[in-house]
Amino acid sequence: MLKQIVAVTAINLKSIPRRFWLSLSTVVAVALVVMVLLSFLAMSAGFRRTLASSGAADVAIVLRAGARAELNSVIARDQVRLLEDAPGVARDAQGKPLASAELYLVVDGIKKTTGTKANLPLRGIGESGAAIRKGIRLTEGRMFAPGSNEVVVGKSLLREFQGFELGRTVKFGTALWTVVGVFEADGSVFESEIWADLPVVQSLFNRPNTFQILRARLSGPDGLAAMKAFNDGDPRLKLDVKSEQDYFSEQSSQTSDLIQKLGWPLAIAMAFGAMAGALNTMYSSVASRSVEIATLRAIGFGGFPAFVGTLVESLLLAGIGGVIGAVATWLIFDGFSASTLGASFTQVVFSFRLTPALIGQGVALALIVGLIGGLLPAIRAARMPIVQGLQG
Amino acid sequence: MSDTSLVRLAGVSKGFVKGKDAITIFERLDLAIPQGDFVAVMGPSGSGKSTLLNLLGGIDRPDSGEIHIAGSRIDTLSEGQLSQWRAATIGFVFQFYNLMPMLTAAQNVELPLLLTRLGKAERRTHVETALKIVNLADRAKHYPREMSGGQQQRVAIARAIVSDPELLLCDEPTGDLDRASADEILGMLTILNRDLGKTIVMVTHDPAAARYASRTLHLDKGHFEEKELAA
Amino acid sequence: MNDFLLVRKNLFRKKLRAILMIVSILIAFAIFGVLAAFERAFNAGEDVSEADRLVVVNKINFTQPLPIAYFNRIAAVEGVRQVTFANWFGGYYQDPKNFVIVMAVEPETYLKVTGTDFAFTPEMTQAFVRNRTGTLVGRALAEKWGWKVGDRIPISSSIFSQKNGTHTWDVTIVGIFDKNKPQADTNLMFIQYPYFDETRSFGKDTIGWLVLKTASSAVNDQVIKTIDQMFANSSWETATDTEKAFNKAFVAQLGNIALIVTLVVGAAFVTILMIVGNTMVMAIRERTREIAVLKTLGFSGARVLRLVLGETLLLAVIGGTLGLGLATLATLLMRQSLSMFVPGLRMSPEIVLTAVGFMILLGLATGLVPALNAFRLKIVEAMGRG
Ligand SMILES: Nc1ncnc2c1ncn2[C@@H]1O[C@H](COP(=O)(O)OP(=O)(O)OP(=O)(O)O)[C@@H](O)[C@H]1O
Ligand SMILES: [Mg+2]
Repeated sequence: MLKQIVAVTAINLKSIPRRFWLSLSTVVAVALVVMVLLSFLAMSAGFRRTLASSGAADVAIVLRAGARAELNSVIARDQVRLLEDAPGVARDAQGKPLASAELYLVVDGIKKTTGTKANLPLRGIGESGAAIRKGIRLTEGRMFAPGSNEVVVGKSLLREFQGFELGRTVKFGTALWTVVGVFEADGSVFESEIWADLPVVQSLFNRPNTFQILRARLSGPDGLAAMKAFNDGDPRLKLDVKSEQDYFSEQSSQTSDLIQKLGWPLAIAMAFGAMAGALNTMYSSVASRSVEIATLRAIGFGGFPAFVGTLVESLLLAGIGGVIGAVATWLIFDGFSASTLGASFTQVVFSFRLTPALIGQGVALALIVGLIGGLLPAIRAARMPIVQGLQG
Repeated sequence: MSDTSLVRLAGVSKGFVKGKDAITIFERLDLAIPQGDFVAVMGPSGSGKSTLLNLLGGIDRPDSGEIHIAGSRIDTLSEGQLSQWRAATIGFVFQFYNLMPMLTAAQNVELPLLLTRLGKAERRTHVETALKIVNLADRAKHYPREMSGGQQQRVAIARAIVSDPELLLCDEPTGDLDRASADEILGMLTILNRDLGKTIVMVTHDPAAARYASRTLHLDKGHFEEKELAA
Repeated sequence: MNDFLLVRKNLFRKKLRAILMIVSILIAFAIFGVLAAFERAFNAGEDVSEADRLVVVNKINFTQPLPIAYFNRIAAVEGVRQVTFANWFGGYYQDPKNFVIVMAVEPETYLKVTGTDFAFTPEMTQAFVRNRTGTLVGRALAEKWGWKVGDRIPISSSIFSQKNGTHTWDVTIVGIFDKNKPQADTNLMFIQYPYFDETRSFGKDTIGWLVLKTASSAVNDQVIKTIDQMFANSSWETATDTEKAFNKAFVAQLGNIALIVTLVVGAAFVTILMIVGNTMVMAIRERTREIAVLKTLGFSGARVLRLVLGETLLLAVIGGTLGLGLATLATLLMRQSLSMFVPGLRMSPEIVLTAVGFMILLGLATGLVPALNAFRLKIVEAMGRG
């Protein structure tokens, strides 16, 4: 039996060149389906990763109740003071609390690829603002000097938007700022931000004594609970305290779910189209081999080898398409940099990420197309009446 | 070569190039077929019988020489002109019927009428008449696959005569049929020739079929030998 | 019988094959229809915008405030017919997750300037102007929460708070308005700016943006220049632009949606182009002998070419029409659940027209090669082959 299957399958595969264009169209159709799916999944995964790496479990973020995003939040100076001394907040060697009250403003930038205006986040950070966050590293230049109109920019921001190169002067309103440093932050959203000294931002943007959020390094695993308890217990506070990790994962799930929810239905719809193409190709394949199949059957071959041979041909074409699609997506889109509006109404720069697990999903979809597209024609091949086939 | 000839070939040469070899089928062939004649063409396989019909039907061109049919010189016509000329002048009957499988008998017969200016109602009466002539009025709505070979060939004949062409060209019309069906078809051709005055050129391998014709041309090595058949 | 019947019969002689091709075309057009509807919906702001409407925002960014004094100063600029302003409220209803678009607007002028978008009746306009705590609610929003005229509803802000510390404002619905333009979205509500400004704890006397109508779109450039120069080098510089350009720039921030749509639709169409094109070449090749017979009967090459093109056109039109139908159905189904995210999702006449254009192109493109093959077919050779 095995010998028969191998023989029939070989005959099948050798006949592919006879239907070269039709077979190629199936391969291309499947490849395009896989490309569409994988580019959406890679986009979603890239966005998720950027936000996921932004949130640290040991950093607390405090926002006004119901604010949901840093941009909306407003907290008062007194509240900042109270929270800096809250239990659960870590302290540095000098005993100063590792907390940073911040101002989060939106300024206009120009996106390099499209030349259109884009919302960029300008963050005024406190003295320990950079120290609280993990993985902040200056790759060029230096940190801004306190009290000066100097900014440091994230490297993603530098890459995607115009005019933030080291040493350049940027103008927000009437004030001029000098870029004195470029930083990286483990590929997190902070790499899409501009940072400056908090008091300078407050004064140049007419926001004296205004704060939007407070970030604090937690003293230990139960630091967050302690901080929350303190917040809930004081009627002057009643703010939202959560871990930075939770804050960002809430934000990432919305957008990346949306991208996935677009990607899968599109890919599945296209897969049906490709399946129709595969069915067509395989029915033609069976029809064009009807004499061969019937002859083999007349000699004594079984129907099953004809079935397997057809199915293998279909799976092979779809599999090749799937691999081509995955490789093409990887070549074109892996690491592709893009940006979109995040939950705080500012641009989040992220890179497409094509992981092996995603490639697996793409190839699986391709093989499903091949399987379904080959099944019915394979059954027809197995059941073909010998006499009719011999007549051609 | 009298002026009453419907078909007149003058010095027609025709050959084919097959790979490196060039074969000559006809060389300076002359032929005249008068209006109303029923000619059978016989000859060994490969002698050029089908080629002759193709030339007469304007679906192939001579290498040199002139072909006059029903007053037109057709070897100089363009493809488009030939199409129009064929639609008006020639009816073809093939060995393998060549009906359109997805059309009914009536629709198959109606096909050539799409090339005319006839209206719907007129087309219908023409189709009915043609089918009546071949005794298939009751089969109008049937598809080719639902009919026997003889019946299909009769539909093909109806298709060939529906636009009332002057010349019928039949290439082994009974080659694929049993004796009885063949006789039926040949009888029909005789009627078309005798009662409706159609000029018919029929290629056949079957001497019995040739006997229905008024004369037989034997084609061999590019030349004709004529045998008048005593009635 | 006529040529159309011939074309139809030819197309459906192998029913399974025809159906499979129709399915793949259907899917490509369904994808096109849905994505085009999405893209149009994203750009609805651009479609709703009017040529003589300008938007004035803070030059730093449109989220930055402007002083209220600009209202009168801009009203005095030559070429400005009417001006109004609004402030983003950051609204939600009951739970921060129930995001609601609320704008605090200058009551008298705002309704006039946006009156072409929404159907404000004289009664509701009067009621809104007179009632300090009144609100006008769009039909879609009112239906979503089951609100009726006269209802008193608590609207919270994720940004502002009242002087007494609460984040919630109580407002009374004085009117529910419909839209005047199909692309407009009524999933929003307006409250009075004076009421909002007096009660809020910070930001007093600042506004979000101004909208103005110029005397005619011809003076737009002049007005834009005048306004921006008027405030240049002040601590509140302005950026003035047409409403259309402003909305377009905003949508562009989401990402290059048009590019994504183009790529996906392109992929879908390349797929069917290959599948249908190759299948048709094969189908016509199988019919070589029949085409030769047609030609023998006197059908000209051009006529045979038209028959084949007719077949691919018919195929494209059937598949395309079914696909558009499916897309229409899909947008109707998604309309409700996505009303928050992409309001105004619908199949517009422009999309249908574009799709029809694509059908014709697809029909011609897939039919071209087989039709030319049929056109060139030599009867003698074709008969020999059969
Ligand atoms: N298109 C072509 N190209 C090359 N050679 C051809 C072509 N058509 C016909 N011939 C050759 O011309 C010769 C005559 O062919 P034709 O078909 O006219 O013969 P025939 O008399 O009809 O034979 P049969 O009785 O077998 O039908 C044959 O040798 C054939 O091989
Ligand atoms: Mg012959």
